Amino acid sequence: MTPRLVVSAAALLAAGTAQAQDLPQSGNQWFVDGQAAVQAILDRTENTNRARNVILMVADGNGVGTNYATRLWVGQQAGGYGDDHVLPYETPEFHAALVKTYNVNAQTPDSAPTAGAINTGVKQIFNTINLDPTNAVHEDCATEAGNELTTLAEMVSEDGKAVGIVSTARITHATPAAVYAKTASRDWEDAVPEGCDGSTDIAAQLIAQMQAGVIDLAMGGGRRHFMPEGTATEEGGEGVRADGTNLVETATGAGAQYAWNTETFEGLALDGSSPVLALFNDSHMEYEYDRTDEDEPSLADMTRAAIEYLEAAGGENGYYLEVEAGRVDHANHAGNLHRTVTDGAAFAEAVAVADELTDDADTLLIVTADHSHALSFTGYCGRGSPVTGLCYEIVAGQIEHGPTPNTAADGKTYTVVGFLNGAGSVLVRQTEEGTADASQPAADSEVGAAEGEAQPVYFGSRPDLTAEEATDPDYLQQALIPLSSETHAPEDVAVYAKGPWAHLLDGTIEQNVIFHVMHHAVTAGE
Amino acid sequence: MNRRTLIAAAAAALGAPTRLRAEDAPIKLRDLYARGGGLSALALRLAGTRIAVEGFMAPPLRAESDFFVMTKMPMAVCPFCETAAEWPDDILAAYTKRTVRVLPFNRKLVARGVLEHGEYLDPATSFVSLLRLVDTSYDLA
Repeated sequence: MTPRLVVSAAALLAAGTAQAQDLPQSGNQWFVDGQAAVQAILDRTENTNRARNVILMVADGNGVGTNYATRLWVGQQAGGYGDDHVLPYETPEFHAALVKTYNVNAQTPDSAPTAGAINTGVKQIFNTINLDPTNAVHEDCATEAGNELTTLAEMVSEDGKAVGIVSTARITHATPAAVYAKTASRDWEDAVPEGCDGSTDIAAQLIAQMQAGVIDLAMGGGRRHFMPEGTATEEGGEGVRADGTNLVETATGAGAQYAWNTETFEGLALDGSSPVLALFNDSHMEYEYDRTDEDEPSLADMTRAAIEYLEAAGGENGYYLEVEAGRVDHANHAGNLHRTVTDGAAFAEAVAVADELTDDADTLLIVTADHSHALSFTGYCGRGSPVTGLCYEIVAGQIEHGPTPNTAADGKTYTVVGFLNGAGSVLVRQTEEGTADASQPAADSEVGAAEGEAQPVYFGSRPDLTAEEATDPDYLQQALIPLSSETHAPEDVAVYAKGPWAHLLDGTIEQNVIFHVMHHAVTAGE
Repeated sequence: MNRRTLIAAAAAALGAPTRLRAEDAPIKLRDLYARGGGLSALALRLAGTRIAVEGFMAPPLRAESDFFVMTKMPMAVCPFCETAAEWPDDILAAYTKRTVRVLPFNRKLVARGVLEHGEYLDPATSFVSLLRLVDTSYDLA
């Protein structure tokens, strides 16, 4: 009864719906493109192969808003309006889902437990990495022992896969560390507190994992965390390890190759015969806008080298590679959209390289973010308004924006993008005399002033802003709440995927589900 | 254009060179550094001369100081990016004529002073600078 009723209803619906070719809009390009998009989805076939390789690409902090900004930037740099641009992971070949990013004890997440969730299948505690959230306490090293989770890297290396990590942040920073480290604090990059004799700092954990054969390749920044305090690094800085160990020497002594700039990067043997440790900066690698090819390789170049290496090292067993565009996050924290989108564009290029060098038949390629940011968009901007610049008027009778920037009730122009909080705040700390007092920045610590202590007062007005000032690469978009650093935001991020079992990434999922999709893909059929 | 406006325009044109002197036309702090690190050719050329530089005042290292650090962008302090406060590579130490009057860290300022380069250790704070303005005066842009 029920199936027959459904069939009948479908038949009635078909009969009552005009054929598409009869519609007045059937020749409209939007209509035609819409039909093609549906056909592309219909043409998808579910790939249920066992994944030989998994590539996880994370643009740190690349919420849907930041991703939209990068889409506009890349499209506008190519001469278009930007909003109709298609980033390499936004094609119909990619399945997609929304991802809930909160931590076990944090509505607004940080990068350590979010990356840990993706790498272990378990949501975690704010600022911890790969510890069981039932018992882990941030900065309590006594809660580490017995609570260490097993990482995807450890699981797949048991099966003979090679494992690589690439990041433009320090390789000891939260997202890359989640591939190999287990710690009660993401800040223990080169040392652990006194009394934590059973704990190991993050840099030392990386080298231990390389010696154990879990990690085969690590490329990023963070050189100082591997070098002893007082020891000069290659670029004039100093190591910071208080324990006096030189982990670069430990790694090379154990047979690893080491690179520290573009020249030595290009000299690496990528035949998979010996592990690779590449540390291109004392701290984070440069923003893409500030980077030169002579000094540091691009994220795309590192991704290309990593894939070539891991193909050789993993052989028929394949590999797991995590690639992070770590500084999309940092530029957001700085409130500087120019570096946010230029690093976002570099990430998109790296995804394109990974896609180009791999086969959908055996490689699960996942593109996602760990969390979002407190950036937002204003209106009503005409098409083609420069994403880092002013919001221009919509004009009747034309598609492109008009020549006049919109103004607010204060008579001043405003930008397409703004931040809810951060260093770009238009509010300024006042003195008792009512004049600007900047003896302290707008620090997070001021939020909880002691009882009886006078709370600082902030007020201000928006400065005048020209188109040239707004599009300057060093410009900070205006923000509201005064904080020394713009914050993460908790709304969903997107995940895109193609290759074996990519179709499992669908709907609205918890972030730890990404691990389970990767795990299912590499174990399918077992 | 009548004769009177022509004369006015000519006077304005004649006046322009004085407004374009280095000390009056602020250069951006970032232009003192070469892309990829190191001082720019401009910084080397301007060494020893009085210039005007546009940038931001980082939160002061100590009260009642006679120097402050200029940054090309407001000095956001991001606890998730760094475990400790870090200076960018491209900064400019500004030694002032008088005790520093602190300005908001996120408001653009113009500092005028004599450009010097070479390593210098500040005796009061142990801050090491490679590029400095001395005899500096400054105000909001």
